[in-house]
Amino acid sequence: MRISSRGMAVLVGMAVATLHAPLQAQGFFGDLFDDFGVDFSGIIRAEGTYKTTSEENPYNQQGNIFNDRTIQRSAYAPPNLTQTQLDNLGLGGLVNVGEVGTWNTLPLAIFNDEVRRGDVIRSQSNDTNYTIIRAQGEMELRFSHNFRFVAKPRALYDPGLYNDFDARNVADVQSGISGGDPSLYQGEVNYFEYRVEDGNGGYTNGNPLEFAGRDYFVDFPALLFEYTDGPMTLRVGNQQIAWGQAIFFRVLDVPNGLDLRRHSILDRSLEEFSDKRVPMLSARLTYQLPFNIIGDAYFGRFQPTVFGNPNTGFNVIPTQFTVRDMFKEDGYDDKYSYGLRLRADYGTWGWQAVAARRWNPDGTFRWTKTGVNQNLEGPGLGATVNAAYALNPNPECGPTTGAALSETAFEVAPGGVYSAEEWFTYAGLARLSGVEGLNAGIEDFPCSQAITASAVDPNDADAQAQAENQLDTFFIAAGGSLRGHIARDYHQENVFGLGVNYVTTSSIDFLNQIIINLEVSYQPKRAFTDIALRQDPIVQDETTAALIIDKWHRFASGFPGTYMVFQALWKNRSDLVGRHLSGYGATPDNGLPPGVDDAYYFVFGFQQPLPNRIFDIEFASLYDPRGGLFAQPMLRWNPGNNIGVEAFYNFIDGDLKGNPNDNVISTLGFADEVGLRLTYQF
Amino acid sequence: MSGSTRMRRRDFLARTAGYAAGAGMLMPLWEAVGSNGEIDRAYPDELLSIEAYTGGKISPGDLITADNVEHVKDLLEPVVYEQVSEMGRQLRVAPTTTDIMRLSPWEYMQATVRNRGQARFDDKGNVVTQEGRPWIGGHPFPDATKAIELFAGLTMSWGRHDASLYAIKQYSLSPEGSIQYRYDLGWAELAPVGRLVLEPKPYWTGHEEYLRYQSVFFLSPRSESGTSFLNIWHYDQNKFPDLYGYLPHFRRIRQFPTNQRFEPLVPGSTLYLSDAWAAGDPLHTWGNYKIIGRGPMLAGVSNGWNAEHPNWEHGTHGGPNGQTFWDTTVELVPEAILTEAEPVAFSRAPVSKKRVWFDARNMMPIGMVTYDRKGELFRSFDGCYSLYESGDRAFMDGDHPYWSWTHVHAFDAQTRRMTRLEQVRALGSGLETQVNTPNMYEQYLTRSAIMRLGRI
Repeated sequence: MRISSRGMAVLVGMAVATLHAPLQAQGFFGDLFDDFGVDFSGIIRAEGTYKTTSEENPYNQQGNIFNDRTIQRSAYAPPNLTQTQLDNLGLGGLVNVGEVGTWNTLPLAIFNDEVRRGDVIRSQSNDTNYTIIRAQGEMELRFSHNFRFVAKPRALYDPGLYNDFDARNVADVQSGISGGDPSLYQGEVNYFEYRVEDGNGGYTNGNPLEFAGRDYFVDFPALLFEYTDGPMTLRVGNQQIAWGQAIFFRVLDVPNGLDLRRHSILDRSLEEFSDKRVPMLSARLTYQLPFNIIGDAYFGRFQPTVFGNPNTGFNVIPTQFTVRDMFKEDGYDDKYSYGLRLRADYGTWGWQAVAARRWNPDGTFRWTKTGVNQNLEGPGLGATVNAAYALNPNPECGPTTGAALSETAFEVAPGGVYSAEEWFTYAGLARLSGVEGLNAGIEDFPCSQAITASAVDPNDADAQAQAENQLDTFFIAAGGSLRGHIARDYHQENVFGLGVNYVTTSSIDFLNQIIINLEVSYQPKRAFTDIALRQDPIVQDETTAALIIDKWHRFASGFPGTYMVFQALWKNRSDLVGRHLSGYGATPDNGLPPGVDDAYYFVFGFQQPLPNRIFDIEFASLYDPRGGLFAQPMLRWNPGNNIGVEAFYNFIDGDLKGNPNDNVISTLGFADEVGLRLTYQF
Repeated sequence: MSGSTRMRRRDFLARTAGYAAGAGMLMPLWEAVGSNGEIDRAYPDELLSIEAYTGGKISPGDLITADNVEHVKDLLEPVVYEQVSEMGRQLRVAPTTTDIMRLSPWEYMQATVRNRGQARFDDKGNVVTQEGRPWIGGHPFPDATKAIELFAGLTMSWGRHDASLYAIKQYSLSPEGSIQYRYDLGWAELAPVGRLVLEPKPYWTGHEEYLRYQSVFFLSPRSESGTSFLNIWHYDQNKFPDLYGYLPHFRRIRQFPTNQRFEPLVPGSTLYLSDAWAAGDPLHTWGNYKIIGRGPMLAGVSNGWNAEHPNWEHGTHGGPNGQTFWDTTVELVPEAILTEAEPVAFSRAPVSKKRVWFDARNMMPIGMVTYDRKGELFRSFDGCYSLYESGDRAFMDGDHPYWSWTHVHAFDAQTRRMTRLEQVRALGSGLETQVNTPNMYEQYLTRSAIMRLGRI
C-alpha cells in the first residue's frame, strides 16, 4: 500500500503537514523533506507444524524421559559427617567420624525408595509444537531521496494449542516452585517474554523494544532512520546486521545474537536467520571506498541471544534448571559492541576482513544461589537431616536446611531432578559433566557442605557411583526433586576474521562459475560455559573456519537452473551452538564426558524453481559426521494474487551412530515435523 | 495477404539484397541520413507509407484487428499475427517516422554519425576504435552488414543513454488472461565507456575495463521487495558479468554465479535476464550470428509515450479479460533486418536460437522470438519505443526530449502466459525514471547501493 505525500497528509494529519510545510523551503532541512512519501506493506501469515513423531521435547516437563520410568533410589551416609552430625543423625552408634569413607561406604537402606517422576508431572502428548499467527508490516516514511525512516513492526500471537505444563498444578508438591521469575516458572507456559533479573529482587523485560505477554509478542526488527549521501549510508536505530558469505554458519556474522524463541532454527532454512537475528539499537555506517572496497561499521547497545522459554516447544535448556539472566542486574544492558568489516570484490576474487569487539550474545551459565528458603521435604531422611542440622547449624548458612539451601544452587521444589540417573542423563544431553557439575555445586557453595554434601574425587574408580549415591541421597531427602539454579553472564571478546572468495572459470560446464568462499575467524580468550557450571567460564582461544561453495547449474533444459550451496564448518573449541566440546560424549553411566577435539559440520542445500517459478522446490541439510542429520525438503507455491504457500518437512535424527551426545543434531532430535505457512501479503 | 503487398515485399527483398551486395537502394540509408537526417531519400514511397504499402486498405490512425490483419500479415512476426488474429490484440497505426533523430537519443545518433567507420573488432572479438581503445559512443556499425555487428552495437549500449533508471511496472498474466502477479521494480544502467553526456567522457577514468553497470531491484510486492541484483559487465564480451545479489532473507550482499541466465527472476514471469533488450548476455556467449532476411515490418517505434496519464501508464485490451495486451501504436518500418543467433555458452539452455528483428534505421530490436530446443516457437517479445514528446508536453533529457522504450510484451507461446512491462514516471515507493543523472552510480549501481535498496 502506498500513499503519496497528499494522501499521507490525510492519514497522519496536521502534525506531519505542519512538519512538512515549514521545512520544505529551508535549506538543508528543505532538502531533507523535499520528497515526502509513505510506503506501507505487510504480511499476515499462519504458521503451524504437525509432529510426525510421538516424541515430546525431553527438555520440557511434560516430555521428560523419566516421567514414565520408575527409578530406585538408594541413600548413603555422607562421608564428611562430623561426630556431632553422626550423633544427631542417630548414626553415632554405628560408625565413628572418618569411617564413612566415601558415598559408597555406608548404605542407609532404610531410606531407600523408588520414584516415578510422572506421579508428579504427567507426560503429555502434542500434535503440534508450534502454531502461531504472524503479522508483519514495513512502513517507510521517505522525507527525501536521501533521508527516510523505516519501521518494521512484527506481531505474533500463539493461541496455545498445546498440552503443556502448568506449574500451578504442582504448587502443592514439595511446597511448589518458588524460585525464579514467577512468569516463567510458577504458572502457565510463557511463550514469548524475555525475562531477566532486574537487580532489585524482581524481574523485568530484557529488551526495551519488545512488548510481549505469555501468548503475544510485538517488536521491531527495524526501527531506524537512514541517511545517504553519495557513497555513504548511515542507519541509526533498532536494526539487524548480517555479515559474511556463509549461510547458517556464523563465522563472520557476529553483530547480532539470535532469537531462538518461536520455532528455534527450524523455519525455512534458506531464510537463514532473517527472522532470528536479535535487532540491536545501533548506528551502522556503510561507505563505498575506493578500490571496490566497502567499509561497514557498527556501534550498538549489546542485546543478547534469547533462548526459548521453559516448556515452550523448542526449548533446549532442561527445565530442571531455573535460569537467572543477569543481563540487567549485572549491568550488561549498558554495554556496547562495535565492529568493522571491509569487503572488496575484483570480479573473480575478493576478500573481506572483520574486527569486532563485542559482548558475546550467547553468554555463559554457572551455578548460582537460589535464594529459596525451603527445607528438605523428605519425610524420613529429609526430616532427619532437617532435625540434625537444626541441632547444630552452621552460623554462616542459617538455622535451617532451607536457609542453608538458599545459599546453594539447589531448590527443594517439584519439576527438578528426581534421580541420579536423570541427573546424568540430562547432563549428557546438555553437554555438561554430571560428576564435575555436582562437585561445582558443592565446592562453589560452602553451605551445601554444611548440610553434608561433599565433592567426589573424579579420579576415583567409583566416582560415578559415589556421585550417584550422593545425588540420590539428597533427592530422597528433598522429598522428590531438587531444581538447579543457574545464572547467565556475558563476556566481552574480540573477533578477528578474514575471508577470501574466488569464482572459477572452466570449459567444463559443471566446474564453471563456482563461487568458493573461505572464511576464518579467531576469537582469543573466548569465554565458554564451564561444563561443570563453575563460577568461572572456560576461557580459550577459538578458531572457526568455513568453506562455502555456491553453484548454479542447469540440469535439464526444461527446468530453470538449480542453485546449490555446499558448506563445511570446523571449530576447535565449541559446537555449532557454542557449547564447549569438552562436554561432549557423556552417558547416563559416565558423568565425566571424554569430550571431542573439534567439531565439523556439512551443509548441502539447493533451490529448484519449476518453470515460471510458480513452484519452488528447496532442500537443506545439516550433517554432523558424529551421527546427526537434519534434512528439510520444502515446496513453495506462489499462486499469485498476493498469496504464498510453503510446506516443509523437518527430518531430524541425532542417533545415526554412536553416542547421540557426540553430535549437535541430537539436541533437536525430538522435533520431526511437517510445517505449513500460509501467507497473504498486502 | 494481398497480391500487391506480396509484390512490394518481393521488390523490397530484391532491392535490399542488392543493397547488401553494394548495389544500393534509392541511396544507401546512412548517406541519406548523413545528408539531412531524413530517411525518405533512401526508401521508395511504398516503404514509407502503410497506406501505399497496403494499397489504401490500412491508413495511419486505423486500428489493425482480426478483421483486417490479413492485409499486414507479412509485416508482423508470427506470434504477434496470432495475437491479433486470435486473441483480440489490436494495433493502432501511426505514420512512418522519417526523422532519424526521433528514433534514438539525440546525442547517440549524433555520435553514430560522427564516429561512423571508426569501429572494428579486436582479436578477442570486442569492439574497439581503430586505435584499439574501448568504443567512444554511438552505434559502432551503422552500416552493419553482419548480424554480429548489429548485436555488438546493441549489447554495448542497451538504452543508448550514459545512465538510465527505469521505473517499471510488471504484470504477469495467467493463460486465462487474469493478472496473477504485479511487480514494481527499478532497472538501472550506466556506461563507463562510450559516454556522450556524463563527464568524464568518453571513458570514466578507472572503469575502462567495464562495459556496463546494471542493477535490478524489486520494490513490491512484499515477497519480492528488497531483492536486488548488481551486474558488472566486463568490456571483454567473452566473460560473464559479475553478479552480486542482496536477498532480504540473507540481509547481506552475496556474490552469485552468473552463467545461468534463463531463469525467471520472480514467480510468474516469462522474462529471463538473457532477454534484456534482446541481447541480455555477453556478445560471445551467443554465436552463429547471421542475417536471414530483410523486409518491411510493423513495429512500435513511436507514439508509445502515454502523456495523457500522469504516470505514463498504458491502457490494456484483448485476451480473455481485456488485460493481456498494452494499447500499442505501430508504424511501418521500411527495413527490418531479421537476424538469428544461438546460445553457445549455456549448456542445456531452454532456448535453441533467437530471431531478432532490427530496425535498419536505428539498429534497435523491434521484435524477438525464441525457439525451444526442439526448434518450436517458444516465446515472443515486442515493445514500443518513443520520443517522450506529445503536443506541448515532453519529458526532457537535457536539451532534448527523452527517448526510450515505453512498454514490452513477453509472451510464452507454449503456455500462453504473458508478462507485460511498462516504463512509468514514478513508482509509489518514490523511485522515479531518470536519465543521465550524475549520481546514479552511487545511488543504484554499487554494492552498498543494492544493500541500501534491499529490504532492511
